[in-house]
Amino acid sequence: MPKLGKPLIVIIVAVGVAAAAAVYLSREPQPVTETSAAATLDTKGGGHFRGPENAAVTLVEFGDYQCPSCKAFAPVVQEVLNRYPKQVRLEFHHYPLISIHPNSMAASLAAEAAGEQGKYWEMHDQIFEYQERWAPSSNPEPEFLAMASRIGLNANAFMQAMRSPQLRDRIIQDVVRAREANIEAVPTFFIDGQQIHVPLSVNAFVDVIDARLKK
Amino acid sequence: MKARVALIAVVAFIGMVDALFLSLKRNSGPIPCHITRGCNDVLTSKYSALAGIPISWFGMAFYLTVFSLAVFASFDAGKPGGQPLRWIYMLSGLALIISGLLVGVQAFILKAFCEYCLLSAILVLTIFLLAPQPFRRTHPQ
Repeated sequence: MPKLGKPLIVIIVAVGVAAAAAVYLSREPQPVTETSAAATLDTKGGGHFRGPENAAVTLVEFGDYQCPSCKAFAPVVQEVLNRYPKQVRLEFHHYPLISIHPNSMAASLAAEAAGEQGKYWEMHDQIFEYQERWAPSSNPEPEFLAMASRIGLNANAFMQAMRSPQLRDRIIQDVVRAREANIEAVPTFFIDGQQIHVPLSVNAFVDVIDARLKK
Repeated sequence: MKARVALIAVVAFIGMVDALFLSLKRNSGPIPCHITRGCNDVLTSKYSALAGIPISWFGMAFYLTVFSLAVFASFDAGKPGGQPLRWIYMLSGLALIISGLLVGVQAFILKAFCEYCLLSAILVLTIFLLAPQPFRRTHPQ
Protein backbone atom coordinates (compact mmCIF):
# COMPACT_ATOMS: atom_id res chain seq x y z
CA MET A 1 0.00 0.00 0.00
CA PRO A 2 2.39 2.69 -1.14
CA LYS A 3 -0.23 5.46 -1.27
CA LEU A 4 -2.08 4.80 1.97
CA GLY A 5 -0.87 7.88 3.85
CA LYS A 6 -2.40 10.77 1.90
CA PRO A 7 -5.84 9.23 1.36
CA LEU A 8 -6.04 8.32 5.04
CA ILE A 9 -5.22 11.88 6.08
CA VAL A 10 -7.92 13.22 3.72
CA ILE A 11 -10.47 10.75 5.14
CA ILE A 12 -9.66 11.53 8.77
CA VAL A 13 -9.82 15.30 8.16
CA ALA A 14 -13.12 14.93 6.28
CA VAL A 15 -14.67 12.88 9.09
CA GLY A 16 -13.54 15.51 11.59
CA VAL A 17 -15.03 18.33 9.53
CA ALA A 18 -18.27 16.37 8.99
CA ALA A 19 -18.54 15.70 12.74
CA ALA A 20 -17.93 19.37 13.55
CA ALA A 21 -20.55 20.44 10.99
CA ALA A 22 -23.08 17.94 12.39
CA VAL A 23 -22.47 19.11 15.96
CA TYR A 24 -22.84 22.75 14.89
CA LEU A 25 -26.09 22.08 13.00
CA SER A 26 -27.59 19.97 15.80
CA ARG A 27 -26.85 22.43 18.59
CA GLU A 28 -29.85 23.47 20.61
CA PRO A 29 -31.21 26.95 20.14
CA GLN A 30 -30.22 29.45 22.80
CA PRO A 31 -32.60 29.56 25.75
CA VAL A 32 -35.40 31.96 25.07
CA THR A 33 -35.24 35.35 26.68
CA GLU A 34 -37.99 37.12 28.57
CA THR A 35 -39.02 39.01 25.48
CA SER A 36 -38.99 36.17 22.97
CA ALA A 37 -42.10 34.52 21.52
CA ALA A 38 -41.79 31.35 23.58
CA ALA A 39 -41.32 33.30 26.81
CA THR A 40 -44.71 34.90 26.36
CA LEU A 41 -46.36 31.48 26.16
CA ASP A 42 -49.88 32.04 27.34
CA THR A 43 -51.30 28.92 28.93
CA LYS A 44 -53.68 30.69 31.28
CA GLY A 45 -57.24 29.52 31.11
CA GLY A 46 -56.53 26.20 29.43
CA GLY A 47 -54.80 22.93 29.87
CA HIS A 48 -55.31 20.04 32.23
CA PHE A 49 -53.33 19.70 35.44
CA ARG A 50 -51.88 16.63 37.07
CA GLY A 51 -50.15 17.08 40.38
CA PRO A 52 -50.45 19.45 43.35
CA GLU A 53 -51.82 22.93 42.71
CA ASN A 54 -49.08 24.58 44.78
CA ALA A 55 -46.22 22.76 43.04
CA ALA A 56 -43.03 24.80 42.67
CA VAL A 57 -42.56 23.68 39.06
CA THR A 58 -45.22 23.41 36.38
CA LEU A 59 -44.14 21.30 33.44
CA VAL A 60 -46.19 22.39 30.43
CA GLU A 61 -46.55 19.88 27.62
CA PHE A 62 -47.99 20.44 24.17
CA GLY A 63 -48.80 17.01 22.82
CA ASP A 64 -50.60 15.11 20.11
CA TYR A 65 -52.30 11.86 21.09
CA GLN A 66 -51.54 10.20 17.76
CA CYS A 67 -47.85 11.09 17.84
CA PRO A 68 -45.68 8.04 18.65
CA SER A 69 -43.08 10.27 20.25
CA CYS A 70 -45.69 11.73 22.64
CA LYS A 71 -46.68 8.18 23.61
CA ALA A 72 -43.02 7.38 24.24
CA PHE A 73 -42.68 10.45 26.47
CA ALA A 74 -45.85 9.71 28.48
CA PRO A 75 -44.30 7.14 30.89
CA VAL A 76 -41.19 9.32 31.25
CA VAL A 77 -43.32 12.31 32.29
CA GLN A 78 -45.32 10.09 34.65
CA GLU A 79 -42.11 8.86 36.26
CA VAL A 80 -41.00 12.48 36.72
CA LEU A 81 -44.31 13.24 38.45
CA ASN A 82 -43.85 10.16 40.64
CA ARG A 83 -40.37 11.32 41.64
CA TYR A 84 -41.57 14.82 42.55
CA PRO A 85 -45.04 14.22 44.02
CA LYS A 86 -45.10 17.60 45.80
CA GLN A 87 -42.82 19.81 43.70
CA VAL A 88 -43.94 19.21 40.10
CA ARG A 89 -47.22 19.26 38.27
CA LEU A 90 -48.00 18.64 34.62
CA GLU A 91 -50.08 21.01 32.52
CA PHE A 92 -51.12 19.29 29.29
CA HIS A 93 -52.23 21.13 26.17
CA HIS A 94 -53.48 19.68 22.91
CA TYR A 95 -51.59 20.20 19.70
CA PRO A 96 -53.16 17.75 17.26
CA LEU A 97 -51.21 17.79 13.99
CA ILE A 98 -54.17 16.72 11.90
CA SER A 99 -52.31 16.95 8.59
CA ILE A 100 -50.21 13.92 9.53
CA HIS A 101 -52.32 12.46 12.34
CA PRO A 102 -55.90 12.37 11.07
CA ASN A 103 -57.31 10.83 14.27
CA SER A 104 -55.53 13.16 16.66
CA MET A 105 -58.40 15.66 16.89
CA ALA A 106 -60.86 12.87 17.68
CA ALA A 107 -58.48 11.60 20.37
CA SER A 108 -58.23 15.07 21.92
CA LEU A 109 -62.03 15.29 21.84
CA ALA A 110 -62.25 11.88 23.55
CA ALA A 111 -59.94 13.08 26.32
CA GLU A 112 -61.92 16.31 26.73
CA ALA A 113 -65.21 14.38 26.67
CA ALA A 114 -63.91 12.14 29.46
CA GLY A 115 -62.84 15.28 31.30
CA GLU A 116 -66.48 16.40 31.30
CA GLN A 117 -67.14 13.39 33.52
CA GLY A 118 -64.08 14.08 35.64
CA LYS A 119 -61.87 11.41 34.08
CA TYR A 120 -59.61 13.36 31.76
CA TRP A 121 -56.35 11.75 32.94
CA GLU A 122 -57.75 8.25 32.95
CA MET A 123 -58.70 8.71 29.30
CA HIS A 124 -55.39 10.45 28.55
CA ASP A 125 -53.54 7.35 29.78
CA GLN A 126 -55.84 4.97 27.89
CA ILE A 127 -55.47 6.90 24.64
CA PHE A 128 -51.69 6.61 24.76
CA GLU A 129 -51.74 3.01 25.95
CA TYR A 130 -53.93 1.87 23.06
CA GLN A 131 -52.54 4.26 20.44
CA GLU A 132 -51.64 1.42 18.07
CA ARG A 133 -55.27 0.27 18.03
CA TRP A 134 -57.10 3.49 17.24
CA ALA A 135 -54.43 5.47 15.36
CA PRO A 136 -54.58 3.53 12.06
CA SER A 137 -58.37 3.13 12.15
CA SER A 138 -60.60 4.89 9.63
CA ASN A 139 -63.20 5.19 12.39
CA PRO A 140 -61.57 5.37 15.85
CA GLU A 141 -64.78 6.20 17.75
CA PRO A 142 -65.61 2.58 18.73
CA GLU A 143 -62.11 2.31 20.25
CA PHE A 144 -62.62 5.52 22.25
CA LEU A 145 -66.03 4.25 23.33
CA ALA A 146 -64.45 0.99 24.54
CA MET A 147 -61.91 3.00 26.55
CA ALA A 148 -64.72 5.14 27.95
CA SER A 149 -66.58 2.07 29.21
CA ARG A 150 -63.31 0.63 30.57
CA ILE A 151 -62.84 3.66 32.81
CA GLY A 152 -66.50 3.72 33.79
CA LEU A 153 -67.87 6.66 31.79
CA ASN A 154 -71.47 7.12 30.80
CA ALA A 155 -71.36 6.12 27.13
CA ASN A 156 -74.19 8.35 25.92
CA ALA A 157 -72.88 11.44 27.68
CA PHE A 158 -69.38 10.65 26.38
CA MET A 159 -70.52 10.38 22.76
CA GLN A 160 -72.57 13.53 23.08
CA ALA A 161 -69.58 15.41 24.51
CA MET A 162 -67.37 14.11 21.67
CA ARG A 163 -69.55 16.14 19.31
CA SER A 164 -69.58 19.25 21.47
CA PRO A 165 -68.45 22.42 19.65
CA GLN A 166 -67.33 23.86 23.00
CA LEU A 167 -64.84 21.05 23.53
CA ARG A 168 -63.57 21.44 19.96
CA ASP A 169 -63.11 25.17 20.61
CA ARG A 170 -61.11 24.37 23.74
CA ILE A 171 -58.73 22.23 21.68
CA ILE A 172 -58.47 24.88 18.95
CA GLN A 173 -57.54 27.44 21.60
CA ASP A 174 -54.66 25.18 22.57
CA VAL A 175 -53.61 24.90 18.92
CA VAL A 176 -53.63 28.70 18.64
CA ARG A 177 -51.44 28.94 21.76
CA ALA A 178 -49.04 26.38 20.32
CA ARG A 179 -48.75 28.30 17.07
CA GLU A 180 -48.26 31.59 18.89
CA ALA A 181 -45.42 29.95 20.82
CA ASN A 182 -43.83 28.83 17.52
CA ILE A 183 -43.93 25.18 18.50
CA GLU A 184 -42.41 23.14 15.70
CA ALA A 185 -42.65 19.59 17.03
CA VAL A 186 -44.54 17.48 19.51
CA PRO A 187 -44.14 16.88 22.32
CA THR A 188 -42.78 20.28 23.31
CA PHE A 189 -42.17 21.10 26.95
CA PHE A 190 -41.98 24.39 28.81
CA ILE A 191 -41.05 25.33 32.35
CA ASP A 192 -41.96 28.85 33.43
CA GLY A 193 -42.68 29.85 29.85
CA GLN A 194 -39.26 28.72 28.73
CA GLN A 195 -39.03 25.90 26.24
CA ILE A 196 -36.85 23.02 27.38
CA HIS A 197 -35.14 20.58 25.04
CA VAL A 198 -34.96 17.18 26.66
CA PRO A 199 -34.29 13.73 25.28
CA LEU A 200 -36.41 10.70 26.12
CA SER A 201 -34.93 10.22 29.55
CA VAL A 202 -36.21 10.72 33.09
CA ASN A 203 -32.77 11.90 34.19
CA ALA A 204 -32.79 14.69 31.62
CA PHE A 205 -36.03 16.04 33.11
CA VAL A 206 -34.66 15.55 36.60
CA ASP A 207 -31.60 17.68 35.78
CA VAL A 208 -33.75 20.54 34.46
CA ILE A 209 -36.21 20.35 37.35
CA ASP A 210 -33.49 20.14 39.99
CA ALA A 211 -31.85 23.24 38.50
CA ARG A 212 -35.20 25.02 38.60
CA LEU A 213 -35.88 23.98 42.18
CA LYS A 214 -32.47 25.25 43.31
CA LYS A 215 -33.22 28.76 42.01
CA MET B 1 -13.58 10.37 -14.48
CA LYS B 2 -11.67 12.36 -11.86
CA ALA B 3 -14.42 14.98 -11.67
CA ARG B 4 -17.00 12.25 -11.24
CA VAL B 5 -15.06 10.65 -8.38
CA ALA B 6 -14.64 14.06 -6.73
CA LEU B 7 -18.39 14.64 -7.03
CA ILE B 8 -19.07 11.25 -5.40
CA ALA B 9 -16.76 12.24 -2.54
CA VAL B 10 -18.56 15.57 -2.09
CA VAL B 11 -21.99 13.90 -2.08
CA ALA B 12 -20.78 11.24 0.38
CA PHE B 13 -19.39 14.00 2.61
CA ILE B 14 -22.81 15.71 2.68
CA GLY B 15 -24.29 12.31 3.52
CA MET B 16 -21.89 11.94 6.44
CA VAL B 17 -22.98 15.30 7.84
CA ASP B 18 -26.65 14.37 7.39
CA ALA B 19 -26.23 10.94 9.03
CA LEU B 20 -24.20 12.33 11.94
CA PHE B 21 -26.71 15.15 12.43
CA LEU B 22 -29.56 12.62 12.66
CA SER B 23 -27.58 10.42 15.05
CA LEU B 24 -26.90 13.37 17.35
CA LYS B 25 -30.43 14.77 17.15
CA ARG B 26 -32.00 11.39 17.87
CA ASN B 27 -30.80 11.60 21.46
CA SER B 28 -31.62 15.23 22.11
CA GLY B 29 -35.38 15.56 22.13
CA PRO B 30 -38.02 16.33 19.49
CA ILE B 31 -36.69 16.94 15.98
CA PRO B 32 -38.46 19.74 14.14
CA CYS B 33 -39.13 19.49 10.40
CA HIS B 34 -38.87 22.59 8.22
CA ILE B 35 -40.08 21.28 4.86
CA THR B 36 -41.98 18.07 5.60
CA ARG B 37 -44.17 17.13 8.57
CA GLY B 38 -43.45 14.21 10.87
CA CYS B 39 -39.67 14.04 11.42
CA ASN B 40 -40.30 13.04 14.99
CA ASP B 41 -42.71 10.29 14.02
CA VAL B 42 -40.23 8.81 11.57
CA LEU B 43 -37.18 9.11 13.79
CA THR B 44 -38.87 7.65 16.86
CA SER B 45 -40.70 4.88 15.04
CA LYS B 46 -39.74 1.22 15.39
CA TYR B 47 -38.35 1.38 11.85
CA SER B 48 -35.73 3.94 12.85
CA ALA B 49 -33.41 1.32 14.35
CA LEU B 50 -32.23 -2.15 13.45
CA ALA B 51 -31.20 -4.49 16.27
CA GLY B 52 -31.12 -1.46 18.55
CA ILE B 53 -28.76 0.47 16.30
CA PRO B 54 -30.20 3.66 14.76
CA ILE B 55 -30.48 3.47 10.95
CA SER B 56 -28.56 6.74 10.77
CA TRP B 57 -25.42 4.95 12.01
CA PHE B 58 -25.72 2.47 9.14
CA GLY B 59 -26.04 5.49 6.85
CA MET B 60 -22.91 6.97 8.37
CA ALA B 61 -21.02 3.70 7.77
CA PHE B 62 -22.20 3.68 4.14
CA TYR B 63 -21.23 7.29 3.42
CA LEU B 64 -17.87 6.91 5.17
CA THR B 65 -17.12 3.80 3.10
CA VAL B 66 -18.13 5.50 -0.16
CA PHE B 67 -16.16 8.62 0.73
CA SER B 68 -13.08 6.55 1.56
CA LEU B 69 -13.39 4.53 -1.64
CA ALA B 70 -13.76 7.73 -3.68
CA VAL B 71 -10.67 9.23 -2.02
CA PHE B 72 -8.65 6.08 -2.70
CA ALA B 73 -9.93 6.02 -6.29
CA SER B 74 -8.92 9.64 -6.84
CA PHE B 75 -5.40 8.99 -5.52
CA ASP B 76 -5.20 5.89 -7.71
CA ALA B 77 -5.30 8.07 -10.83
CA GLY B 78 -3.68 5.57 -13.13
CA LYS B 79 -6.56 3.10 -12.93
CA PRO B 80 -9.84 4.79 -13.81
CA GLY B 81 -12.77 2.50 -13.16
CA GLY B 82 -10.70 0.35 -10.81
CA GLN B 83 -11.75 -1.73 -7.82
CA PRO B 84 -12.87 1.14 -5.48
CA LEU B 85 -15.33 2.41 -8.09
CA ARG B 86 -16.79 -1.06 -8.60
CA TRP B 87 -17.42 -1.21 -4.86
CA ILE B 88 -19.05 2.23 -4.87
CA TYR B 89 -21.39 1.12 -7.64
CA MET B 90 -22.38 -2.10 -5.87
CA LEU B 91 -22.68 -0.53 -2.41
CA SER B 92 -24.74 2.38 -3.68
CA GLY B 93 -26.99 -0.05 -5.59
CA LEU B 94 -27.66 -1.93 -2.35
CA ALA B 95 -28.12 1.33 -0.43
CA LEU B 96 -30.55 2.54 -3.10
CA ILE B 97 -32.75 -0.52 -2.57
CA ILE B 98 -32.69 0.01 1.22
CA SER B 99 -33.40 3.74 0.79
CA GLY B 100 -36.35 2.90 -1.46
CA LEU B 101 -37.73 0.60 1.22
CA LEU B 102 -37.29 3.25 3.91
CA VAL B 103 -39.03 5.89 1.78
CA GLY B 104 -41.82 3.32 1.25
CA VAL B 105 -42.11 2.85 5.02
CA GLN B 106 -42.44 6.63 5.44
CA ALA B 107 -45.03 6.93 2.68
CA PHE B 108 -47.22 3.89 3.28
CA ILE B 109 -46.77 2.76 6.88
CA LEU B 110 -45.86 5.84 8.91
CA LYS B 111 -47.56 8.30 6.54
CA ALA B 112 -45.01 10.86 7.67
CA PHE B 113 -41.86 12.12 6.03
CA CYS B 114 -38.53 13.13 7.49
CA GLU B 115 -36.72 15.65 5.31
CA TYR B 116 -33.28 14.52 6.49
CA CYS B 117 -34.10 10.93 5.52
CA LEU B 118 -35.41 12.05 2.12
CA LEU B 119 -32.20 14.04 1.60
CA SER B 120 -30.24 10.86 2.34
CA ALA B 121 -32.27 8.92 -0.23
CA ILE B 122 -31.53 11.62 -2.83
CA LEU B 123 -27.81 11.50 -1.98
CA VAL B 124 -27.74 7.70 -2.35
CA LEU B 125 -29.48 7.97 -5.73
CA THR B 126 -26.98 10.64 -6.81
CA ILE B 127 -24.02 8.46 -5.82
CA PHE B 128 -25.51 5.51 -7.69
CA LEU B 129 -26.02 7.59 -10.83
CA LEU B 130 -22.51 9.08 -10.60
CA ALA B 131 -20.78 5.75 -9.99
CA PRO B 132 -19.42 4.28 -13.24
CA GLN B 133 -21.10 1.00 -14.09
CA PRO B 134 -18.41 -1.71 -13.78
CA PHE B 135 -20.20 -4.21 -15.99
CA ARG B 136 -20.75 -1.89 -18.96
CA ARG B 137 -18.77 -2.96 -22.00
CA THR B 138 -16.44 -0.29 -23.33
CA HIS B 139 -16.04 -0.22 -27.10
CA PRO B 140 -12.57 0.26 -28.50
CA GLN B 141 -12.11 3.34 -30.65
